Amino acid sequence: MAAQLESSHDTVPIIELRGLVKTYKTGAGEFPALRGIDLAVMPGEFVVVVGKSGAGKTTLVNMITGTDRPSAGVVRVAGADVHAMHEDQLALWRGRTLGVIYQNFQLMPTLSLLNNVMLPMDFCGLWRRRESPLRALELLRAVELEDHAFKLPSTISGGQQQRVAIARALANDPPILVADEPTGRLDSVTAETIFQIFLRLVESGKTIVMVTHDENLARRVPRRIRLADGRIVSDSRDQRGGG
Amino acid sequence: MNRVLLRPRWYKVLADLWGNKVRSLLVIASIAVGLFAVGIITTLDATLRRDMRLGYAAVNPANIQMVIPNFSDRLIEGLRGVKGVAEVEGVRTFNLRARNRDGEWVTITMNAIPNPREMKINRLMVLEGIWPPLKRQLVVDRYKLDELQSNLGEEIEIELPSGTIRNLKLVGVVQDQTIGSSGAGGGYFLAPAQGYISMDTLEWLEEPQRYNLLYVTVTGDSSDVRYIREVADRVRREVEKSGYVILGTSVRASDDHPNSSYTGAMSSVLYVLSILVVFLSGFLIFNTFQALLTQQVQQIGIMKIIGGRSRQVIGIYLALIFVFGVLAFLVALPLANRASLALLEFLANQMNIALLPYRPVLRATLLMLAIALVVPQLAGFVPVLQGVRITIQEATSGIRKENVTIGKGWLERQLMRLRGVPRPLLVSLRNTFRRKGRLMLTLVTLSLGGSIFIATFNVRASVSDYISRVGKYFRADMNITFSQPYRVEKVRQDLEALPEIERVEGWWGARGEILDEQGVVIDTAYILAPPAGTPLVSPILLEGRWIEPGDTNAITISERFSDIFPGIKPGDTLKLRINGEEKTWVVVGRFQLVGSSGGYVAYTSGEYLAKQTGMINRTSSFRAVASQHGMTLAEQKALAIQLDRYLRSRGYDVQEITAGLSLEENTTTGLNILTTFLLIMALLTALVGSIGLMGTMSLNVMERTREIGVLRAVGASDGIVIRLVMVEGLLIGLMSWGLSVLLSFPISTLLADAIFVALFRASWRVVFTPLGLFIWLGVVLLLAAVASLLPARNAARLTIREVLAYE
Ligand SMILES: Nc1ncnc2c1ncn2[C@@H]1O[C@H](COP(=O)(O)OP(=O)(O)O)[C@@H](O)[C@H]1O
Ligand SMILES: [Mg+2]
Repeated sequence: MAAQLESSHDTVPIIELRGLVKTYKTGAGEFPALRGIDLAVMPGEFVVVVGKSGAGKTTLVNMITGTDRPSAGVVRVAGADVHAMHEDQLALWRGRTLGVIYQNFQLMPTLSLLNNVMLPMDFCGLWRRRESPLRALELLRAVELEDHAFKLPSTISGGQQQRVAIARALANDPPILVADEPTGRLDSVTAETIFQIFLRLVESGKTIVMVTHDENLARRVPRRIRLADGRIVSDSRDQRGGG
Repeated sequence: MNRVLLRPRWYKVLADLWGNKVRSLLVIASIAVGLFAVGIITTLDATLRRDMRLGYAAVNPANIQMVIPNFSDRLIEGLRGVKGVAEVEGVRTFNLRARNRDGEWVTITMNAIPNPREMKINRLMVLEGIWPPLKRQLVVDRYKLDELQSNLGEEIEIELPSGTIRNLKLVGVVQDQTIGSSGAGGGYFLAPAQGYISMDTLEWLEEPQRYNLLYVTVTGDSSDVRYIREVADRVRREVEKSGYVILGTSVRASDDHPNSSYTGAMSSVLYVLSILVVFLSGFLIFNTFQALLTQQVQQIGIMKIIGGRSRQVIGIYLALIFVFGVLAFLVALPLANRASLALLEFLANQMNIALLPYRPVLRATLLMLAIALVVPQLAGFVPVLQGVRITIQEATSGIRKENVTIGKGWLERQLMRLRGVPRPLLVSLRNTFRRKGRLMLTLVTLSLGGSIFIATFNVRASVSDYISRVGKYFRADMNITFSQPYRVEKVRQDLEALPEIERVEGWWGARGEILDEQGVVIDTAYILAPPAGTPLVSPILLEGRWIEPGDTNAITISERFSDIFPGIKPGDTLKLRINGEEKTWVVVGRFQLVGSSGGYVAYTSGEYLAKQTGMINRTSSFRAVASQHGMTLAEQKALAIQLDRYLRSRGYDVQEITAGLSLEENTTTGLNILTTFLLIMALLTALVGSIGLMGTMSLNVMERTREIGVLRAVGASDGIVIRLVMVEGLLIGLMSWGLSVLLSFPISTLLADAIFVALFRASWRVVFTPLGLFIWLGVVLLLAAVASLLPARNAARLTIREVLAYE
């Protein structure tokens, strides 16, 4: 029984993109940002997406999180056809399935760190109301920000804000984390602490897709996908991570 | 852990409220000011008329008043048995002159009351001092106390027709709501000062111990004028059977306060205004929430990313809006009640109304609550939906499609083409036009407020215009009344001998009871009979013609007659009873006077009426024109004192000499109250408009904090930033002013028509005055400056880092 589960885990991709095309309509005409992407990410994988600015990385992330609609192709995440859902289904599904992390943190400015972390639990209702503050505190402890729980985001540093964003992304215990240049605004020391957190999360079984500019970080990720002009130009796997 | 008991989403509501207190105050003020205005207007509308009706009915006003010379208690006893009669009382009224501290003679109507302790009809409300007056004591009504210039306890010098001087001690002040209730007088505002004495003072004042005015109340429906007339007719037959002559009859419903036409006019104004103000405050609230919610787009995006469904996100904002609405309601309700009370007291005092104890009007409270709860939700719903609808990508990247197209619109392109415009101004201009939707809303709100403000000035001007036009019915400088008739030729020779006097006319006059087809008295008319073709009257003819030399039983009637004879027109006949004799008159024209607040006034030929009343070439009423033209009221009063002395020295029994302009002054007091009232309403709308502009401007600037930071980052000094924002504010102010001016034309006409129709049942030309226009220009520019200066200074004070982190 356990073996069976294990194997299905290994053979069914948790993220699957097939023939994905995204064309933006702009004043100057149509602009193809993604020109046919095929990609499968297995559960527990740590994937980094690199590429020059304008390559289509953010667009790709938005396709996975369902925050933007593709022009053609299929996106399956955790067994769901992402773009077949309507807005509200999508929001609930996303809240439960995906933790999203942005370059500029995107915390709610008027809420305390604790409330920021609790908000996804409030929306998705997976935890009992009395449990959620305790869980939020625990998550903040994991990113070493428990002492700042009642502060506002604007009163802490950028690195700390990104750690809160991670704690919030984990609030509903989603299997997948998607991060778009999470260290883009941070210095290299702070970036390293964030990266360490990601490594720990992968160890604990999360699947992570991370976009980055930082080649040094990218080199340390088991699977690297390079995008250029909306196409995947390379997909390399380290063998030492096993597979 | 207290802080985490609340769900985080509700915590966000509180945080938004509490986190930006200036913004919250602005939002609450914007809603509250609209509610406040709506509250006042609805409360006034409901209370004024209700209190006027109930307060008047409470004094048990006479339904029938008959002028009958010298009757006694015997007649009264006899009338008690007449069918439909409830109570009967008699009083004696007569005019005397009282001298005030300036030495001026003031006419005072004395009312001698038989049983002052237990008055049944036309009861008085004691305000100060004692009641009843004892022998040789006097109680006065508060209305013209100023004119008498006397204090309680002082002796008032009274001159009797014989020339004898008597002193009466002023012992009390009352409020008499029935002043102006007899149809024949000129109404409340034309009535002289009223004094109340006991019957045993009469002898001392050389008056007989007899009544001359009969008060009757009816049993049954005392608000049905037609029924009252039937009872009056039975009373008349009984009176005539007893051998008395009736000189005048007037009937009045128990709930028909003499000044009801003024509150009627105010109600129409309030009605028009309340619709406009509800719109105005709706726009204001809409605008405020639009501004508030555009600041929230990014947060809406975040919430959707972390799992917030539309319903949940919308719920958060509707809750926020709800709290704002409730807070605004809680602020506005007590303020509106307080202001309403103050306004009511002012109006009640001016219009002789006895207010009932104040209590909030349920309708007003409910309307305020409904507006506070519903309008913000409606206003907020659209931007919330917009916020929830935009893609997360747009929301979180901070780039909205709307912003992406900056500089591509027609207006922007035109603006950028302007040459010789300094750059900062150009930037301001672009800012102003960037958010066209917002700009439209701000403009509509402000322009509506401004145009109502300007319109009230135009209505004031129109009423004043009407007032001065009505003044042309009273062109003589002096109105001289003797206690007995004199030969016209003699008086003329005596007066025209004076260099100050240019021209003298003898006028005749009579009371005429207006009869219907069955011969039932409807009311009493005042018939004025100047020499035909007199230049001293220039009428506002509605139809037909004026009295011409050679006319006999021709008559022109005031617009008031249409109340009792709808559709009456030149060529129709009218039956009047003068001194007990019935006669048929031919209506040749209809003219406009002061509307339903005035009495039934008719003009006929002096020569003809003189013949009819057996007073050929003799009369007691004269008009004089001074040699000096365009005299002021003060000059006329001085001349009046001089004439009084001169005529007395020649042996004339002068009863009264009044300045021509004082008539106009009195006639117009009532209308002036209306214009004061309008001014107050103008201030109210100005307040709504002002706070609206303040709020919108401030929110606009707050929204652009980031942009201001960028400006500063590229080297703009505080001064430049402040100037940029101020120029934008002034620009909006100026544009709205232009729109207000345009809008003020239809709104002025609407308001003026409402007033004129309520007062006169006819329209009058609308006069447009630049006054309100310029005042509003000043107000708008000042407000725009203040409203933008404050947030501009705040924005300039933010450090660049703070600003850039403000997302
Ligand atoms: N909303 C949009 N409208 C039009 N073009 C867009 C939009 N978003 C992205 N693009 C364009 O698509 C291309 C890919 O963008 P993006 O995915 O953001 O690249 P990256 O994240 O790799 O820098 C870029 O050339 C960008 O200009
Ligand atoms: Mg990107």
